[in-house]
Amino acid sequence: MGSYLIRRLARTLLVMLGISLVVFVFVRSIPGDPAVAMLGERATPEAAAALREQLGLNKPWFFNPANPLDAQYPKYITALVRGDLGTGLKSNIPVLDDLKSRFPATAELSVAALLVALIVGMPAGILAALRRNSIWDNLATTISLLGVSMPVFWLGLLLSYFFGVKLGILPPSGRAGTEFNVDPVTGFNVLDALLRGQPAAAWDSVRHLVLPALALGSIPLAIVARITRSSMLDVLNQDYVRTARAKGLTDRTVTMKHALRNALLPVVTVIGLQAGALLGGAVLTETIFSWPGLGSWVYDAISQRDYPIIQGGVIFAALVVSVVNLLVDLSYASLDPRIQYS
Amino acid sequence: MKKVLLTALLATLSAASAATLVFGGNGEPVSLESGNITDGISILVQRQIYDTLVDFEDGTTDLKPGLATKWTANANNTAWTFTLRKGVRFHDGTPMNADAVIFNLGRWWDKSHPYGFRDQGRTFEIVGELLGGYKGDATAVIKNIVKVDEYTVRVDLNKPSSVLPDVLAAGYFGIASPTAIKKDGAKYGTPASKPVGTGPFIFQSWRTGDRVTLLPNKLYWGEKAKVDQLVIRSIKDASQRLNELKAGTIDFANDLTPDSLKSVQGDKNLVAVKRPSFNVGFLSLNNRNQYLKNDKVRQAISMAINKKEIANAFWNGLGTSNASFLPPVLAWANSSKVPADYKFDPAAAKKMLADAGYPNGFSIDLWYMPVSRPYFPTPKPIAEAIAADLSAIGVKVNLKTEDWAKYLQDRNKEPGFDMYMIGWTGDYGDPDNFYGAYYGANASDDINWNPANVETLLQQGRAAATQAAKAKVYQQLHEITYNAAYRIPMVHSNPLAAARSYVKGWTPSPLGSEPFNTISVPGKK
Repeated sequence: MGSYLIRRLARTLLVMLGISLVVFVFVRSIPGDPAVAMLGERATPEAAAALREQLGLNKPWFFNPANPLDAQYPKYITALVRGDLGTGLKSNIPVLDDLKSRFPATAELSVAALLVALIVGMPAGILAALRRNSIWDNLATTISLLGVSMPVFWLGLLLSYFFGVKLGILPPSGRAGTEFNVDPVTGFNVLDALLRGQPAAAWDSVRHLVLPALALGSIPLAIVARITRSSMLDVLNQDYVRTARAKGLTDRTVTMKHALRNALLPVVTVIGLQAGALLGGAVLTETIFSWPGLGSWVYDAISQRDYPIIQGGVIFAALVVSVVNLLVDLSYASLDPRIQYS
Repeated sequence: MKKVLLTALLATLSAASAATLVFGGNGEPVSLESGNITDGISILVQRQIYDTLVDFEDGTTDLKPGLATKWTANANNTAWTFTLRKGVRFHDGTPMNADAVIFNLGRWWDKSHPYGFRDQGRTFEIVGELLGGYKGDATAVIKNIVKVDEYTVRVDLNKPSSVLPDVLAAGYFGIASPTAIKKDGAKYGTPASKPVGTGPFIFQSWRTGDRVTLLPNKLYWGEKAKVDQLVIRSIKDASQRLNELKAGTIDFANDLTPDSLKSVQGDKNLVAVKRPSFNVGFLSLNNRNQYLKNDKVRQAISMAINKKEIANAFWNGLGTSNASFLPPVLAWANSSKVPADYKFDPAAAKKMLADAGYPNGFSIDLWYMPVSRPYFPTPKPIAEAIAADLSAIGVKVNLKTEDWAKYLQDRNKEPGFDMYMIGWTGDYGDPDNFYGAYYGANASDDINWNPANVETLLQQGRAAATQAAKAKVYQQLHEITYNAAYRIPMVHSNPLAAARSYVKGWTPSPLGSEPFNTISVPGKK
């Protein structure tokens, strides 16, 4: 197990290095110059050239014959090894500082969205499998089909308008009401408010979480419901379930203890895969709900061609996905004793 | 004892009813360091924290005293003397005086200034754009900055300029506390710092991506703020800003789309606010294109587009169309020889095209912007309307677009775009800021048309001392550029803003942002 972990971590490092190279080349290959994007309508070729020079973007990518170390990628990598992701071109804020303040917001939203997916999706899937071809099954299938096919931004706008403006029961967007000012501890607003002894602010933060979590969670919810359903159906037809029933165990015990545990494996896999999808979905959800997370930050950086932010954001997102996948793999072992890592 | 209790009770009550003013911004500030940023929301927040040397009268582009109470030029406009307001202190207690002003001007203009942090990514590019360049540059407007006495600063110029006070009044140039900049170093202006000015509001906190919170400056030298707290939220999506306004979670907001006017007017809790127009959306025609080289062709194109109708259809009454590059508040610089409006006459245009040798028309590319701007809120449908008008005279239009960063770059790369949409929002109230940006030596190289007499006139305009003298120069420029028809003004739009009905005392400036110290929110729950 230990050596497996070390090998996996070493591989993750290599992957990160590869990704840093790929994203470095990719962002510079997209047409559109950061200096011009920054200057906007004011961009004259002379002004752009001057700005490019000041930002160091006129230097060679990989190799400078005059001074081998004075090229963009070697500089980037040596800084990266020291844990320095560079500085936002225009804001002058270290990318790492921004990451630190933005990631907790995205993580909080993603966790909330996953919770929505699990709390609603799993029971719906189980119910649909147990009451196969009933009205419940049809309802769950229809809703999950809707969840998968409805674009997140559209669902987000609908939710925001309906619950935020029409009914006025939830805040239409933002992360916390302007009447509350909670000093960050962990960066998770709900948790921070509790830690600071501000229950009203915590409740307010929860209310702000609901709509974006529903929007972001809609797709994983639908997928979890469908996977749970089909995996449950599979398991329920297995011999050991029949044996358990024949032993005279109650339906409840058979379902929860024997069937569900085995049916969970594919669900866990899907959750692992969805972690990456959540980071992607966060771009739209965060933009619509004015959620100060990674997604909206990187999105803006792309339209501004802010290379250090795009690079830092992508490398960090890749790291998160790698770690989540590792955790998923490790959790297999605890769910299924037949799986062993050595 | 009773008295203590009563006082405590009153204190609690007033705390409970503390008036918070919440603004819905269209994004988050890039930086709160003055002189180094050009985006609207950064400037808007900076306007609350900093004062500029010279200021603008409410709702206009006319100058009024700011940190300088008086400014005078020498006879040939090559040296400007600013007399500073006495007894003003920065929020951190640092006195505002000649040294503080010179420190600010110096770090923007002098590339070797020890507190310019240029080695750490500071660019101050707006100084290069509005003031020709930096210390020692051949093109720079400023030659030297001199301390005359404790409260007097003189700015010597390399060439005559009558617009220096106007330029320094632009929202970019807020005067910051030298102490704070020295203390925070290269962090100054980022969320990890504390920006310090002399303005009506004091910086309290900046939650990245979420909001900036400001408190009133109780010692402000001017009109003191009327609320207990000002929060500027970051809400990128325009429809979401409208939602928040309707839900009452923000008090006022800028940059709503023109098509939300009806929705605002239909809500009894909201008041629609038209910002005075200070922009121009226009069509640029490229001299490198074989057809567009021909004067008659350009005039025919101009005559074939129904600009009035397009403005009515896409700006919902929030835009006017005329035949000037200048927004209506600068109409004093327009020539009476140019018609107030472009002639719309498809039949005459078709004939003109035939005279030019193209009776059957031709085919041409029209590039529309991929982003929404106040001067072109919905570029694609507007481009379609232009294409429809042109097809009526036989000109077949291929609509094209690409990513904004690339669009801005490609228009300046030879051969450039045949015909494309772009626009400009002004920084200060002088015609030079409009004409100078798109004609003459400082303009982009997108139309390949830059006659010497235009540059000469631009320089005369910058040197002219009185408005009457300026008007004479810009009237000539108006006639020359109108007749050349390389840039065809389509619209001057009024950006749409809105406020909850209890918001009182908000006078939007044409320049896009204004200090919020005049605003009160009586009756806000």
